[in-house]
Amino acid sequence: MELQFIYSLIVSIFIGGVAGFLGSLMITKRMALVGDALGHVALPGVALALIYGFNVSLGALVCLFFGILLIWLFEIHTKLPMEALTGIVFTASVAIAFLFLPETKVSTALIGDISQIGLWDTLVSVIFCIVTFLVLKKIFSKMILSNLSENLAKVEGVDVEKYNLIYLVCVAIVVALGIKVTGSLLMGALVITPAAAARNIARNLSQYSYGALLIGSVSCSLGVLIFKVFGLPAGPLIILVASLIFLISLVFKQK
Amino acid sequence: MSEDLILKVKNLNVELGREQVLEGLDFDLREKEILVILGPNGAGKSVLLRTLLGLLPFKGEISWRKNTHIGYVPEEFTVSKNLPLSVKEFFEFKQVGPSEIFQSFKWVGIEASLKFLEKRLGTLSSGQLRRTLIAWVLADTPDVILLDEPMVGIDIHGRETIYDSLVRLWQEKNQAIILVSHEIGEVCKKADKILALNKRKLFYGLPQNVITPQNLAKIYGASIYL
Repeated sequence: MELQFIYSLIVSIFIGGVAGFLGSLMITKRMALVGDALGHVALPGVALALIYGFNVSLGALVCLFFGILLIWLFEIHTKLPMEALTGIVFTASVAIAFLFLPETKVSTALIGDISQIGLWDTLVSVIFCIVTFLVLKKIFSKMILSNLSENLAKVEGVDVEKYNLIYLVCVAIVVALGIKVTGSLLMGALVITPAAAARNIARNLSQYSYGALLIGSVSCSLGVLIFKVFGLPAGPLIILVASLIFLISLVFKQK
Repeated sequence: MSEDLILKVKNLNVELGREQVLEGLDFDLREKEILVILGPNGAGKSVLLRTLLGLLPFKGEISWRKNTHIGYVPEEFTVSKNLPLSVKEFFEFKQVGPSEIFQSFKWVGIEASLKFLEKRLGTLSSGQLRRTLIAWVLADTPDVILLDEPMVGIDIHGRETIYDSLVRLWQEKNQAIILVSHEIGEVCKKADKILALNKRKLFYGLPQNVITPQNLAKIYGASIYL
């Protein structure tokens, strides 16, 4: 039981950290709600994983790649705005998932459950977090530069398309990991809220991105600790802690 | 290609979304030269720069001398006010040391203090941001600099400082400049060659030969005297 708790704590700290770090980039690229939408796109995969008892993140990831591919194909064929297409795919995914998601699993799918995580799962999640973080760290400054001016970045030799693709893969991985902790419904907050709080108080880019990482990890660990004490679900607690930190950050907002 | 030739453009055509934006342009750029590109709004000046940089598809020939390091000051460059990116961090993209940073700020007439470097890029005034961008482009001393309306928002004293630095430094090092500008009076004094265009070439040559009231009327539709 105690070991189980330590596993959940470790996993959530790592996932919260990498989600916060990624969030700082997503807010800068005005893609804050993409995490939220993708959380829903993953739902059918999450449902299958819960029914057949395999890893939720794996189910989510397969579904995400399929969903992103669909959005990409629709965009090529229709030229409709990306957000409209994302809207179609994510609501359709939710509809599909609810056709076969058993009632007993609804809450786990929507708000997550990391109380039952095993050693193997913990290890794999931590490795994924570390690798994704290192990749994001490597592409971070180039992504910021191409966000300031794509032309300027290209002239400086940045392969913008390649970096965008790597970034999107990272987004899919982090969403898949995060769903384990806070579920489909709350995943979006895991990338938005810590980064928004950090943005309020940061003076520069490294304070911003590492601040988001820290706030993500702290929110997750506090959420899991409160869950341990009061037995309330961990996912919502994590998001509430992050939201509280966001409120506090308003007081220290940089002018 | 002759020794001092940096860029040669032959029969350049650019079509964007079925619209012919540039047609049959020929010109070249040599060491120590300052080429000024003139033209009315929508003449394709910015498109020309972006095409030279390899950012747009084209037909014809653009040949740069091998290993030419190009710097580019785009016309539009805005930074969100709440983006926590400091001036110092902006220069970290370039991987240049502190001495290069301070030097390049001197070239654009800013005495950069440590406090200035800690400032958020988005909180600089538009003139300061413009100068910072130019300093950023100069920091790793490119061989050729392409500037698209670089002086918008910069005061007259700043303009003089920047033009002086550019002309002096880049000519000293056998390097070259392509400049898009509307300030014909100020800029044409510095130019070695002028290319005026409105989709196609209007005139091209030495300023003393081509800057005539008749030619300026070709660009701007009314006679202008300098």
